[in-house]
Amino acid sequence: MIISVENLVKDYGSARVLDVEKLQLKEGINVILGSNGSGKSTLISLISGLLKPSGGNILYNGKKIDDSLRNYISVLVQKPYLFKKSSYENIISGLKFKKISKEEIELRLEKYLHYLDVEPLLSKKSHWLSGGERAKIALLRTAVLETEVTILDEPTAAMDIESTFKAEVLFRDMASNNRTVIVVTHDVFQARRIADYVLFMDKGKIIEMGLKYDVLDNPKSALLKQILNK
Amino acid sequence: MFEFIKDFFTTYSDILPVIALSLRVSLTAAFIASLFGLTLGVITALNEFKLKKPLMRVTNTLMSLPPVLIGLLVYMLITRKGPLGSYGLLFTPTAMIIAQCILVFPIIFGLTVSSVSEAAKDIQLTCITLGAGRRDTLLTILSECRMQLLSVVTAGFGRAISEVGAVMMVGGNIRGKTRVMTTYIALETGKGNFEEAVFIGIVLLCISFIINITLYRIQRRE
Repeated sequence: MIISVENLVKDYGSARVLDVEKLQLKEGINVILGSNGSGKSTLISLISGLLKPSGGNILYNGKKIDDSLRNYISVLVQKPYLFKKSSYENIISGLKFKKISKEEIELRLEKYLHYLDVEPLLSKKSHWLSGGERAKIALLRTAVLETEVTILDEPTAAMDIESTFKAEVLFRDMASNNRTVIVVTHDVFQARRIADYVLFMDKGKIIEMGLKYDVLDNPKSALLKQILNK
Repeated sequence: MFEFIKDFFTTYSDILPVIALSLRVSLTAAFIASLFGLTLGVITALNEFKLKKPLMRVTNTLMSLPPVLIGLLVYMLITRKGPLGSYGLLFTPTAMIIAQCILVFPIIFGLTVSSVSEAAKDIQLTCITLGAGRRDTLLTILSECRMQLLSVVTAGFGRAISEVGAVMMVGGNIRGKTRVMTTYIALETGKGNFEEAVFIGIVLLCISFIINITLYRIQRRE
């Protein structure tokens, strides 16, 4: 699914926190880079319908979608809440909300559980999990939904490096079959490893966007050059 | 001890129906008030609207409303000349349930809003991002906050079973019909029968103790 944004703005009172003239997020992995407060989370909240824009349009494959947006987009927020249940029940909770059959749930679990080696955690209640384990369960809970667009806000921030690499393999598979994955991160090295497209934001605006190699190897803005030590 | 209780109930055979009616009236009132209080409380906790602050101020005021005032209001409504007089509710257990519902609802509603406000928003966000509908979201919030809500319902039931003013006014403390534990204690104390009054007081304490023990066990199991 291709997401097109035109003249998108978000204001809080008199403060404009986001101002995006034009943007296209394509099938594959789109990484959004930017420092704290650059507007990354606001942008993905608007795209996912969690926030209402103050102005502008967001089109999904050229169309406006309102009520059925949840069928197409799933989101992993920065600090995900895990239900007070076992890891297994947490992972399948979204599938149960969507009334997916038991057989299909089992198939999805078989397909996704091995990515992050969570089998030993399945019977554990969520409050017994460590921060990294919670992040893995929350990521899998989003991944099994197999929506056309998946938005991940700093999904590996709490994971160790080994788990981060495993999660990155999962991102790649989530983006297969013409699906769109949007990953928000501060980590330029991770962006280099996983991205097809990179979008760099600062102060609520998009500074640079394009193919990974164009943006990260030949940055034009002084700020991105500084971040990349170019 | 067991023999003493057995002898006591044999001698004062009218006490058991009093205990049973107390439990029936207060449990029913707490159940009805919880049904509305919990649902509306969670919905209020999740939404921001213009009149939310004034609503909560009014709720907080109603939480400390004197039972006799509620008794008076319900009495005026259901008395023969009142707007609901034709239903013949005065001096019936139904009238007592109505009065206790009105007494307990603000407590359950107010405590629900304050106890689940923060957690409910996180749970709601998670449910939305996972594609849950409104009904599933509400049920998930109720299930996730069940321990806080159980405490809220317990507080509401405690208020209902321990109040005397409202049930006295709308129930009339009629022997075998609307006499409950609190009105029984008030009556027997007035007559100087302290032994019976103290016994019923102990029964009330035991009910409270059993509820708290049960709550504690559920919390530990969770």
